[in-house]
Amino acid sequence: MTVVFGYVGLWVIWTVIEFVFVTGRWEIIQVNLKLLLVGRFPDELMWLVGASLTALAFWVAAVAGGSKIDLNNVQTIPQRLFDYTRRFGLIVALAALLIFLAADIAALLLAFQVLGGVIVGRLVGLARRKVSVLGAIPSIIWHPMLGSPAIALVLVTLMESTLEEWGGFLINFYMAIISIVLCFPLGVLLALGRRSSFPIIRLVTTTYIELIRGAPLFVLLLLAGVALEFFIPPSIAPDAIFRGVTVFTLFTAAYLAEIVRGGLQSIPKGQTEAGKALGLSTTKITYLITMPQALRNVIPAQIGQFISLFKDTTLAGAALNILDVLNVGTAITKQQDFLGQGLIYEALAFVALLFWVGSYVMSRESQRLEKRLGVGVR
Amino acid sequence: MSSEVFKDATRMSGGRASDEAIVAMEGVYKRFKDFEALKNINFQVGKQEVVVVIGPSGSGKSTLIRCINRLEEHDDGRIIVDGTELTTDVRNIQEIRKETGMVFQSFNLFPHLTVLANIALAPRQVRGMPKSEAEALARELLERVKIPEQADKFPAQLSGGQQQRVAIARSLAMKPKVMLFDEPTSALDPEMINEVLDAIKQLAQEGMTMVVVTHEMGFAKEVADRVVFMADGEIVEVGTPSEIFDNPKEERTQKFLAQIL
Repeated sequence: MTVVFGYVGLWVIWTVIEFVFVTGRWEIIQVNLKLLLVGRFPDELMWLVGASLTALAFWVAAVAGGSKIDLNNVQTIPQRLFDYTRRFGLIVALAALLIFLAADIAALLLAFQVLGGVIVGRLVGLARRKVSVLGAIPSIIWHPMLGSPAIALVLVTLMESTLEEWGGFLINFYMAIISIVLCFPLGVLLALGRRSSFPIIRLVTTTYIELIRGAPLFVLLLLAGVALEFFIPPSIAPDAIFRGVTVFTLFTAAYLAEIVRGGLQSIPKGQTEAGKALGLSTTKITYLITMPQALRNVIPAQIGQFISLFKDTTLAGAALNILDVLNVGTAITKQQDFLGQGLIYEALAFVALLFWVGSYVMSRESQRLEKRLGVGVR
Repeated sequence: MSSEVFKDATRMSGGRASDEAIVAMEGVYKRFKDFEALKNINFQVGKQEVVVVIGPSGSGKSTLIRCINRLEEHDDGRIIVDGTELTTDVRNIQEIRKETGMVFQSFNLFPHLTVLANIALAPRQVRGMPKSEAEALARELLERVKIPEQADKFPAQLSGGQQQRVAIARSLAMKPKVMLFDEPTSALDPEMINEVLDAIKQLAQEGMTMVVVTHEMGFAKEVADRVVFMADGEIVEVGTPSEIFDNPKEERTQKFLAQIL
């Protein structure tokens, strides 16, 4: 048995290596790299892409740098380097590969710009912990304050160019980010609604959640593509990206609501009672006591949902005719230079790699976050 | 018989702390579906009085004190805390909860907050105290329950006895007029019971008004001004510790004490 599996395993690994380094014809990726990543995004607007990516990097780094650290576990420099490599090595490697393939000074500059965003963000995050004036700003104001430029830039980028002009991986990435940012508060509200003491709110939220969860995502996307024309004249109907984002947000929010509700149910009744006994209002008990604990308990499930959302953005390409990375990937195999040469493997492998790196980093960071926040675990 | 008990109770509280009752219950009933958890409870706690409630499990002791801060809603009768009657009015309930502290059997500290933040939370959020002031108050209270060095730890890093003392400090931070203790030592390992009882005794000596539900008879004898014996949702007998422990009048009291002493 072991021998059989061993041979099969070796054979699979050999085939993959052979494909990657010998038989694979990666020039199709190299030639079409820009198309795959940003589509036909106009060059004069490329600064928008850079700016929005940098703002995002800044935000993420600021949030990470601002979280509490375990003071009992101060790392040495080599340990830190090892930790960083393990966490971000993959992303850096992918970026290096892309820069290498692009062989373009602009790509390198972009990478440094994003890196700069990360460093500044990290410093701002640290400053919040050190400087008491910044530390006094409540999280509910601080995080939106840092995040809103990024979100605004991402939105502007999404809307700036018309549909035919741009596409590629950036569309998948940005659709996922906007949907995640929007669906999170919506999901939390829906979870609270489902536990509300007002029957009408409970009925509405429960109906919503069950309806959405009962339908396949692809069908909802197709519906968003067609059904809207029943209600709104096509001339003023929102474009496909907007529809996609809406569907992803509404869809993921319903799942998130159930995850958060599960988290809330896992909090012992004694927590609420202790809050009541101290004279805290129901709202404050939720906001300060039960919700923070519930959200921490369901981090793995939440991130899992976000990862699915990220990957499901490829469905929007098929359902709404958005030129996302998958559509671009299949389209380039039909270019004159590459037509009929069976290069679909290379294209799909590249698309899969982009998603895999993104998902893997998200999943690793979620495990880290879970450990970090688990400091005061019961 | 119950009216007799009521008279008895008022006499006892009147003996020590005038007629200024912090907690007064008149004809209180509490039902869980068909089960009567409290039957015609008449009960008063005077200012600076320490009342210890004893009785077999299921006798309604916990339900009784949980009605005082509305963790349970009573079905009949009146409950008046510090001059405010408990009604369905949310503002009244909040007002009363501000003035009553409660310590639970299972501590119920907030696991995601440090010890200091646990204590400072309510003064900041309910009384609107500035952060620095609330934290100074928290440190002072930790000093009082003798664990100032634990301020920056999380509850899970503390022993049961330490956690319960933090819980006491957390309740005191609201400067309550009356403290309710719901079997504060029942979930503790034996060697930690005394540190918690000592903290409660110290509070009693400082003149805190309190109602303590407990199975610690030694503590009851030593600290209580009055002991209330409950069985089957009723107050069976009320008296000074020596009256109840050395010379119980009611048969049910005698039987209960014979079983546990």
